[in-house]
Amino acid sequence: MKEKRHIKWKRMVLIFVTVIVILGWINGIYILAGVGILVGGCFWMVTKIKNGKIDEREKSIREQATKTAYSIFAPTIGIGSFLLLLFSSGSLPTVKERFYYLQSLGVIFAYLTLFLIILYLIAYHFLNKKYGGEDEE
Amino acid sequence: MKSKLKILRVMENWTQEQLAEKLGVSRQTIIAIESSKYMPSLNLAFAIAKLFKSKIEDIFIYEEENNENY
Repeated sequence: MKEKRHIKWKRMVLIFVTVIVILGWINGIYILAGVGILVGGCFWMVTKIKNGKIDEREKSIREQATKTAYSIFAPTIGIGSFLLLLFSSGSLPTVKERFYYLQSLGVIFAYLTLFLIILYLIAYHFLNKKYGGEDEE
Repeated sequence: MKSKLKILRVMENWTQEQLAEKLGVSRQTIIAIESSKYMPSLNLAFAIAKLFKSKIEDIFIYEEENNENY
C-alpha cells in the first residue's frame, strides 16, 4: 500500500469514528461516543507511520492484522446470528414479545455473515486469477 | 530462518539506520530480520544479497522445523 493510499484510508477510518462519536453524543448514547473516542485514539496511535516509511514488513503486519480481524469477526457474527435466531425461534411467546428485537438482530447478523462469505469468495476468485490460478497454459 | 545480516553489517561498519537507508526499508525491519523475527521477501533478500555481494543462501540459513509460513 502506498503512503498516500494509507493516509487516505486512515483518514476515512477516523472520519467514520468521528461521525459515530458525534451521532452517539447527539443521540445520547454516551457509552458509544466514549468507546468511539477510545478506539479512534488507539487507532491513531497504532497506525502512526514511524520514520514516514511503509515497507514490506509493515505491509505484512497489516495483512496479518486484517486476516486476524476477519477470522475473529466473521465467526463471531456468524455464531451470534445463529444463537439469536435459535433463541428467538424457540422461546415462549411472552419471551418473544419482550425480546422481539432479537430476531431482527439475528437476521441482520446472518445477512452480514453471508455478505462476508460473498466478499471472501469474490476476493478469492480475483486474487486466484491475479496470481495465475487459471488452467490455461 | 536464521540470518547472518548482523555479522555482515558489522563487518561493513554500517549502522542499522544506514543499512535500512540503503535497502529502502525501516530500521525496525532490519532489527526484525537480524533477530530472525521477520522473514524478508524474495525481493528484499535479493537486494540484501546484492548489497553484500553474496548469495542469498550465504546470508539466510533455511531451517525446516521453524517454518510456520509454508
